[in-house]
Amino acid sequence: MLKLSNITKKYFKTMALNKVSFEASRGSITGIIGPNGAGKSTLLDIISGFQNPDGGEIYFNDQPLKSFKEYRKILSYMPQHLEIYPDYHVDEFIEFINAATEHIDINLIEILNLEQVKNKKIRYLSKGYHQRLKLFFALSNTKEIIVLDEPFDGFDPIQLIEILELIRSENIKGRTFILSIHQLYDAEKICNHYVLLNESRVVTQGNIQTLKQTFGEDNYSLEQIFKRAIQ
Amino acid sequence: MRPFLVLTLKETKDIFFSKTALLFLVLVSFIVGYGFVTAVGLYSEQSLAAVNNPLYARGFEPVPGVFGPIYGGLFILFSLFLPFVIIPLISLEKEHNTLAILIQLPFSFKDILTAKIIATLLFLLFVLILTFPGIILWRMYGGHIPVNEICLLLSGYLLYGMFVVSVSFFSASLFNSVANASIFSIFLIILSWVIDFSRNMNISPLLSFISEWTVTRVLKYFENGILSFTAAMYFVLICSVFFIMAYILLSFDLKDKWKPISSTIILFLFAMFLISHITLNADMTESHRNSFPPGISKALEKVPDLEIDIYMNKGDSRFADYQKSFLKKLELIRNDVRVKIMTGKELKKKYGLFVYKINGKSKETYSNSEQEIFPIIFGLAGISAGHWNNETEFPGYPLVVKERLSIIEYIYYLLIPLGMVFAFAVNNLKLLRRLKK
Repeated sequence: MLKLSNITKKYFKTMALNKVSFEASRGSITGIIGPNGAGKSTLLDIISGFQNPDGGEIYFNDQPLKSFKEYRKILSYMPQHLEIYPDYHVDEFIEFINAATEHIDINLIEILNLEQVKNKKIRYLSKGYHQRLKLFFALSNTKEIIVLDEPFDGFDPIQLIEILELIRSENIKGRTFILSIHQLYDAEKICNHYVLLNESRVVTQGNIQTLKQTFGEDNYSLEQIFKRAIQ
Repeated sequence: MRPFLVLTLKETKDIFFSKTALLFLVLVSFIVGYGFVTAVGLYSEQSLAAVNNPLYARGFEPVPGVFGPIYGGLFILFSLFLPFVIIPLISLEKEHNTLAILIQLPFSFKDILTAKIIATLLFLLFVLILTFPGIILWRMYGGHIPVNEICLLLSGYLLYGMFVVSVSFFSASLFNSVANASIFSIFLIILSWVIDFSRNMNISPLLSFISEWTVTRVLKYFENGILSFTAAMYFVLICSVFFIMAYILLSFDLKDKWKPISSTIILFLFAMFLISHITLNADMTESHRNSFPPGISKALEKVPDLEIDIYMNKGDSRFADYQKSFLKKLELIRNDVRVKIMTGKELKKKYGLFVYKINGKSKETYSNSEQEIFPIIFGLAGISAGHWNNETEFPGYPLVVKERLSIIEYIYYLLIPLGMVFAFAVNNLKLLRRLKK
């Protein structure tokens, strides 16, 4: 469905991404995992059309994506560094999104528990609620691919269960997810395809069974596989 | 509601209800109020001697006497404070990464920038509307309102305000931090002043040429009551250039940004070259203080190629008089007159001389008076200018204000600021918000 072929990105002399290639199939939940500075956020920015790669192509259903308009039609992106209008109240922001798109999923407000903070200014929301609002923005549309950069930041274990459930239910509806996840333990709970990134390049990729076969044993955790892979 | 309207409303609300805008508007109110009280007071005081003296009364015009100083305060506020109100509109979007939200909604970068431009235009119009109570009070005191001149003055400041907005947008797109963008945009604005100041220093011919096209210089047309096609187009072009460059810098999907930026600058210079060759000016003042009498103007249009050699330093007060009373008026009619300001040995040799040349013939004079100049020019050209001293004379509008000016103070120092604080509170306070719900 979404295929990256030899994506390269340089910032002056620093190589941020070096010939990154992988494919996210329809209905999959792909986890981009790797340590800090591996290039996860840059990769997600490029996948979403927010940055231009220096080399390589991105294909959607075997057609190369050329303009930002094309990306916008198929893909919704929640960047990690996003501070939604701090001086807006939550309901004001939701109203704005609704008025601009004329389509929001009202159920999402309930599922994400946003109703109880609707009269609060966004700047006074806890990190968890701010993250919920970001997720609301990313999911309140009908786009096929959802790209989320560190979506589980700021959630306590109970909140995390709710959010994972939400992503699963959206995935069941047929949406494809590409997530950048810092915590390998969280990635293991939700992803069915992994792309391990280290020092700007893809170390390995595949589903958990393939990775275990390649780098470890059946009882290996993703963390152990990752350690092995980067060695 | 159409999405673009939703976006424009959001941007309008963002600018009008920001804390910086509130402080700016309160400052505008104080400055306009102070300017008005001072200007009316001085005008009234000086008018005492003129009310019974028709000759002296002719020098009293409300725009240079009262409205000019009021809007002069706005010039400072626009130049030094407006960037702080405008820059956050883009800088904060960049800082919070909220452009990522807008661009994923059905808005393009063009929509986002256009909505912000419309919002700032409405804000500037609101700032100018704040001067209206003063104009109404002036009328109530019995003052004369030269509508054309005031409209021209308002248009000039609106265009200047838009120039500051465009520079602020450009700076905000160029830099990531609000502080850097603010400093850079004030630097660009002040640069225009510095070039303007250096005009009389004769540093270099290039600097002298550039100084003719600084924003402050072009704004003078509007301040002096001259409706100039070139001046209006200049503002439209320079604002467009900065807006386009801001658009290019903001659009993260554009590759090789230097190419469209350099093309924009080249196109701007070409368009400037074209409009600088168009002379389409009208003196909108009731006293016609910027132009020669109509008979003279018509005759001057018929004069063949005219060359003037001036043997005088630019700093000489006689040159300043000559420039104001003759050259500037001549520029309104013709922009093809070649004026050469002599330098070096020649200057010392013939200091103080004006040489007029037409069709190979020339004549010299030490006089800078119109009475002396016109016979020389028309004589050289072989044209009869007819009668030109029988124009209808401007009566002048001296006004002694007998009422106390405290009502102006109440309006500008109390009512308007309080009204703004109230509007800000209504929009922001939690309690009022709940009541509204």
